[in-house]
Amino acid sequence: MIHDVIPISEAARILGVSVQTLRRWDKSGKFQPSFISPGKHRFYARADIEKFSKNLFSVARAWVSATVGEPPALGFYCPTSAEFQGRLSRFELMISRIPDLKEGEKFSLVSSVVAEIGDNPFVHNLGKWPDIPGTFFGYDEHKRQVVIADRGLGVYTTLKTAKPGLRDDKDALKVAFTEFISGRTPEKRGNGLKHVRTVISKSNLDLVFQSGDAILTLHRHSDVMHFKNSAEPFRGTLALIDF
Amino acid sequence: MVITLNKFGRILTSREIGREAFAAFKSTLATLNDSETLEVDFSGVTTLSPSWADEFVGVLLVSYSDRLILKNTSNPSVKITLELIEKIHQLKFNITS
Repeated sequence: MIHDVIPISEAARILGVSVQTLRRWDKSGKFQPSFISPGKHRFYARADIEKFSKNLFSVARAWVSATVGEPPALGFYCPTSAEFQGRLSRFELMISRIPDLKEGEKFSLVSSVVAEIGDNPFVHNLGKWPDIPGTFFGYDEHKRQVVIADRGLGVYTTLKTAKPGLRDDKDALKVAFTEFISGRTPEKRGNGLKHVRTVISKSNLDLVFQSGDAILTLHRHSDVMHFKNSAEPFRGTLALIDF
Repeated sequence: MVITLNKFGRILTSREIGREAFAAFKSTLATLNDSETLEVDFSGVTTLSPSWADEFVGVLLVSYSDRLILKNTSNPSVKITLELIEKIHQLKFNITS
């Protein structure tokens, strides 16, 4: 029905990507309009948009890997560290009411991990954001998932100034999650991701973390790092936390 | 002297905010006598992360390690963060229950 479809500009605004990105997705088959008018205008089913936007990871991945940077949809966008802190506070309050996390204040481990992953981009990209400053920060209370992404320099570019011997994205992630080093040496920085790994090894948290073409997976109650290569690399970082 | 950390907030997580908190606290810290202990009370802190802690408690650990006493550290994020700060600085906190 005609009232259930929206033009491409509206779809782009809701999803927080550019019209050009939606046209590319159409051509590649990644996300297609429900019909194209005789005048070649694309129209999208509102239900498809809603379904896509409910999958936080898909929305964040699309945003971080889009060739042309656009601010993400307002509900997910933290342009500044202060905005992130404010939203983190609301997130912490929400998870502190979940019974199994409330017990023994276990929620604090979740929020501590989210805080470190979410604060990192602001520390390491200050004054260096390639296009869109800030982060995508979304969470789903029912799926018990948090997604954080940024269009910053990425872990490899950030770390190789401090550690020139780094070979690639995988090498950089290994260092970031294991060695006490930082991109802003000689100051003592960059220990947040080591903390993330330690917390995961002692709690019911799972993490998928991508930067460049390297994907790191950490499973709950384990400190073993599983790596694989992504066919869809991007410059910044993307994290999915299951709690 | 007792520092009640929840006066800085219940969520203590950003490096920038940790640095600001320490800068604000410096003038009070300057009044500490040479023989006086420095107690840091974590009650009411619901989330702590290493970024904030390193800028505040980490600095105190390095400067006042012998006189520094931490209390009410049972929150899981506080516990695990303090362990990391000890590892970073290769020093141990004095913790009382």
